[in-house]
Amino acid sequence: MRIQQHRNALVARIGRINGVTQVILLCIGIAYWYVQIAEGANYRTMADNNRLRKLSTQASRGLILDRFQRPLVENVPSYSLFIDRSRSAGDEGLRFAARVLSTPIEELEELLASHRRTPKFQPIRLGSQLSLTQVARISALNLEYPELEISVEHLRLYRHAGQTAHLLGYLGEISEQELDAWGGTYRRGDQVGKKGIEALYESTLRGQRGEQIVVVESRGQVVEELEQVQARPGNDLTLTIDLELQQTAAQQLEGRVGSIVALDPRNGDILAMASSPAFDSNLFARRLRHEEWQQLVSDPNHPLQNRSIQNTYPPGSIFKIVMALAGLDTGKITAQEPRVFCPGYSTIYKNRYRCWRAGGHGWVNLETSLRYSCNVFYHALGQELDIDQIAHYARMFGLGQKTGVDLDGEKAGLVPGSQWSLKARGTPWYAGETISVATGQGPILVTPLQIAVMMAATANQGYLVSPHLTLGEHRLEAGPTPPQRLPLQAEHLKLVREALWSTVNHPEGTGRAVRIEGLDVAGKTGTAQVVAQAVRTGNDQLAPEHRDHAWFASYAPAEDPRLVVVVFVEHGGGGSSAAAPLAKAMYEKFFDTDLAHRAAS
Amino acid sequence: MRSFSTPISRIAPRPDDPSLLRRLSNVNWAPLAAAWLLSCIGLATVHSASAELATSYLPRQIVFVLLGSAVLAVVFSFDYHALVDMAPVFYLGSLFLLVLVLFIGHEAGGARSWLSFGPFGGQPSELAKPATALILVRYLAGIYRRHLTLREITTAIALVAVPMILIALERDLGSAAMFLPMLAALLLVAGVQSRQLVVAAILGLLFAAGMWSFAMKDYQKTRIVSFLAPDKDPLGAGYQVRQSKIAVGSGQMLGRGYGQGTQSQLRFLPQRHTDFVMAVLAEEWGFVGALVVLGLYAAYVTGAASIAMRSRDRTGILLVVALVAFTAFHAIYNTAMVVGLLPITGIPLPFISYGGSFTTISFISTGLILNVDYRRYVNR
Repeated sequence: MRIQQHRNALVARIGRINGVTQVILLCIGIAYWYVQIAEGANYRTMADNNRLRKLSTQASRGLILDRFQRPLVENVPSYSLFIDRSRSAGDEGLRFAARVLSTPIEELEELLASHRRTPKFQPIRLGSQLSLTQVARISALNLEYPELEISVEHLRLYRHAGQTAHLLGYLGEISEQELDAWGGTYRRGDQVGKKGIEALYESTLRGQRGEQIVVVESRGQVVEELEQVQARPGNDLTLTIDLELQQTAAQQLEGRVGSIVALDPRNGDILAMASSPAFDSNLFARRLRHEEWQQLVSDPNHPLQNRSIQNTYPPGSIFKIVMALAGLDTGKITAQEPRVFCPGYSTIYKNRYRCWRAGGHGWVNLETSLRYSCNVFYHALGQELDIDQIAHYARMFGLGQKTGVDLDGEKAGLVPGSQWSLKARGTPWYAGETISVATGQGPILVTPLQIAVMMAATANQGYLVSPHLTLGEHRLEAGPTPPQRLPLQAEHLKLVREALWSTVNHPEGTGRAVRIEGLDVAGKTGTAQVVAQAVRTGNDQLAPEHRDHAWFASYAPAEDPRLVVVVFVEHGGGGSSAAAPLAKAMYEKFFDTDLAHRAAS
Repeated sequence: MRSFSTPISRIAPRPDDPSLLRRLSNVNWAPLAAAWLLSCIGLATVHSASAELATSYLPRQIVFVLLGSAVLAVVFSFDYHALVDMAPVFYLGSLFLLVLVLFIGHEAGGARSWLSFGPFGGQPSELAKPATALILVRYLAGIYRRHLTLREITTAIALVAVPMILIALERDLGSAAMFLPMLAALLLVAGVQSRQLVVAAILGLLFAAGMWSFAMKDYQKTRIVSFLAPDKDPLGAGYQVRQSKIAVGSGQMLGRGYGQGTQSQLRFLPQRHTDFVMAVLAEEWGFVGALVVLGLYAAYVTGAASIAMRSRDRTGILLVVALVAFTAFHAIYNTAMVVGLLPITGIPLPFISYGGSFTTISFISTGLILNVDYRRYVNR
């Protein structure tokens, strides 16, 4: 009985406490009523004209410089027009903006429609790079159209437009996926690197946004600054590129489709890397029009592609350098033996394989086979080696795998083998294909940059360098790996280097077009067939898209190489006529001062 | 005589009991319904409040709510007396951890209150709250008088004071203060006399004065000063109250619309997805939205109170009171702080604010409240 009494006391107390709690909640409800209904209109006005505003200040993006600190891209201030939709009374302001910007109103309406889910009070950029006249016309009507705001933004200016386009890449408005991926660093509408160095080194180049707390009046004009966190500018980035050499490369490729790569064989610094046709990075700095983008992507020559690393081609006769070293290392050939007679073709496995010279080269050995680029010698060597042995040496030189250069979108290419054939094609490897691969034709694909790395290893006593584009502290975390010594004998490399020297310096060598007075250039021409033909006709009679690709891979000076130049011309024809002269211009530019000195003394 | 709170009540319901469904239907589910509705509102608001941040907190909060609901089911499944019997173990264990944290804890947010073991980390003070609640329930449940004696009150206070002082030594005063509403509710229900209340009020004032002059940090003092006079310091501590009130007020009757609150979306509001989530809600859904939330808390408390009133023993009554006092205090303090009725402190809003451990704890305590209701017929 007493227990029941105690229980009743407890229950009564709980009832009271619950009652008190409900009253407290009711009081809080009344407080909300007071703030939201009784005083609501006042607070609404305060929110709309919130005197304190947090503004964010743009951080200036780091510059990109060449190896001699010459700027490749800069920031220039530019006027942009924004619309604050929460202030617009009708579409009069938008119409006015369209007139001033001379943009069709439909295009602006479409832009706003794409921002339907963006909160109304967030300004949307209608146009950038406004002229002073446009700024004046809009500012004059500021009272009529308070929704239109003009602000200064930094715009990327690529000084050398197309000449550096594939290296530097471009910026673009941040996408939803990038917003998620980058965490809280960015906001909608921010510009981020989309391609090339701008994309890969985004975190180095971008700065850190600053913040300002300011007092504003009702029209949004800043009256007083209360607090400021300075924006931190991005870091400048120094490239290995030599601007003048890069410009020469781009000029040489004008009107052609192809690529030129120049690198320092001692350390892998890329001094020039050009691809043609190019595009103008500055087009992307403002909003790219739909037609402009369509034009870029529908161009049959794909100007957006960086041919130095993103396209793969058969190496043609350039591959004979790898073959020669494979033959020497496996002991199948020596400097003198064998001597092969070239009648202009070989008959192997009942098939006829042609040499490029219909009349034949007569008796050839290792040196003359490289000098004259005789196919028959390598057809014979191809019979001695199997495809997996050849692939072993090709991979040793970095073919068939990414070089790891600090650019996006690099392709690995293809070095075939018997396993690859079974896996990728489902058919066994045919011995006849080895004969094609021995002269760099058939299913073997490389990028111009890979060929440059291979040439550097041949030139620098057998060290495989990792090519890279940046110098100094801001290069990617891992940085280039130190050059790797290839397991090849020095004397074998020497034999091949001597043959490459004679290719350029012998009066009948295929690379004689590059001969430069006072400079020892060594190199190898290459011609990659686009269509296999039973009977070769001259390239002049072929349709342009069926013409051969022209290669020239070289280095200089022969004794102490400081520069590797690889030229590739798509559908250019023969390597000695279409590619070699371009390399000559590169050497003349690079050794310009050296040669002038020698002439003087 | 001592029939309630004896081992006989530990008969667990058998799962094959034919009346299981009927007994489940006799449980007062109002607190759970309110908790889930509040959680749904919370998810929508957290999503809107983190829209401007690059990482949305929504997916993680969904996980927390689901996890909390799962733990609720577990907590519901065993007899709450088992938990109360274990109270000394929990209590001593959490005291041990609190002492340990003084030596090997590390700092986060100005308080040295974190312990970590490899990848696992946590604040022992979070653990100490339920452990202290359980030991108090166990102690007070064993007293069968209409009113408590002074000695019993002192013992109860001492039980709470030990962990409170340890937590205060970690410089985590906010967490230390969380013990007081629970203690007050338990003592009021267990029975204190009015003259004892007067003495307690005087002692409390003296204690507050002592804290002000000896224990409080400058930033804590400025918070209180800026609460009393917010316009003195518009960019400092007063900034938050001011911006929060503007956010709430500008919502007016129907709100600015989901995702359209200027105060929230333009980042005028601090801690939008945690402590000030109510301001975001009130701005975007207006007075109507705020009333719905307050009404759901009222329903939660009333439901829990009715469970306490029909609970079969003193242990059940006091357990429910301790648990609901904890949740209700958070709800009241947070909603009042957001409209400027109380000084700003880091007290989250149950079921609505983003946060893993707090959401889980709120669901656990809801599960225990339902547990008490489910087992009220056990000895029939």
